[in-house]
Amino acid sequence: MSKRNDISTPAGYFEDLQQRLEGIPARKQVSPSGIMVRLTPYVAIAASFLVAVMIGNAILRQTAVPAEDDPWTYVSYLADALDPDGAALVDMAAWEEEEEGLYPEDIVNFLLADGISVEHLNYLSYEEGY
Amino acid sequence: MDGAERLFNEIVKDYSERVYWHVRRWVNNHEDADDLVQEIFLKIWTALPSFRGEAQLFTWIWRIATNETLNWLRREKVRAALRFSSIDTEMERRIDDDPFFDGDAADRALSKAVAKLPEKQRQVFVLRYYDEMPYEQMSEILGTSTGALKASYHIAQEKVRAALGHDLFSGTD
Repeated sequence: MSKRNDISTPAGYFEDLQQRLEGIPARKQVSPSGIMVRLTPYVAIAASFLVAVMIGNAILRQTAVPAEDDPWTYVSYLADALDPDGAALVDMAAWEEEEEGLYPEDIVNFLLADGISVEHLNYLSYEEGY
Repeated sequence: MDGAERLFNEIVKDYSERVYWHVRRWVNNHEDADDLVQEIFLKIWTALPSFRGEAQLFTWIWRIATNETLNWLRREKVRAALRFSSIDTEMERRIDDDPFFDGDAADRALSKAVAKLPEKQRQVFVLRYYDEMPYEQMSEILGTSTGALKASYHIAQEKVRAALGHDLFSGTD
C-alpha cells in the first residue's frame, strides 16, 4: 500500500493552483461588506435561535463519555521508548488535553465565517446571557 | 513586483504542492483541499509582513497551515452537528465520494481509520506517516516535545492497527 498514490488531482492542477495563488497579492484588499451591519432584527432573532440550538447540541456532545485509551498501550510504549522518567507521557497528556468536542468559540467562528457580524454576535450573546 | 511579492511567489512555488497534499489528507476531498490551500496562502500573504525570521520559513508556513486546517475542521464539526451528523460520518462519506481517490479497499480503510483519530493524534499521524516529517520539525511546528509526539504517534498507530486488523507499520517508529 503506497502512501500517496491513493489520491490524485485533476491533470495540470498544480500549475493552475500556482497561478491562482500568485494572483493573491494583486487581489488581497477585499473590503468587508456593510450588508451584515444593516441586517434586520428578524435575521438576528433567527440567528439567536440557531446559536441556542448549537450551544445546546455542543453541551450534549461534550457530556457524552469518550472511549478511554487502553492504559497498557501507554505502559508498553513506556518500556519501548526508553523514557524512564515518563516525561514523554506527561507532555503528551498535557498536549492532547484540549481536544475534540464542540466549544462555543467553534460555533462563534463558524458564524463569523458564514458572514454574521461581530456586532450581531455580541447582541446575541447579551440576549442569550452567554 | 516588490520584495514581499517576490518572497510570496517563492513560497508558492516551493510549498504549494506540499501544503496541498497535507491538507488533502485532512479534508479527504479535492475541492475542499483546493479552497483551504487558497485560504492558507491568503493568510500567509497577509501575515508575511509580521514574519521576522526568528522561526524558519518552513516552520512558520506549516504553523499557519496547521492552524487553518484545524479551524476548517472545527467549522466542519459545527456544520455536521447542524445536520445532526458527526464529523466521522462526514469524513467517511467524503472518502467514499472523492472522485480523485484512486486507492484500493485497504487504502480506503486506512484513510477512514486515520480520519477517526482524535485531532492531535491525527495531526501527528499525518505529519509523520504521510508527510514523513522528522519529530524535531514537528516539535517546532506543534509546540510540544518530541517525546510527546512519539508517544502520540505510537498511540495513533495502535488505533489504526486495531481498526485495520493488520500491521502497516513494521519498521517505522
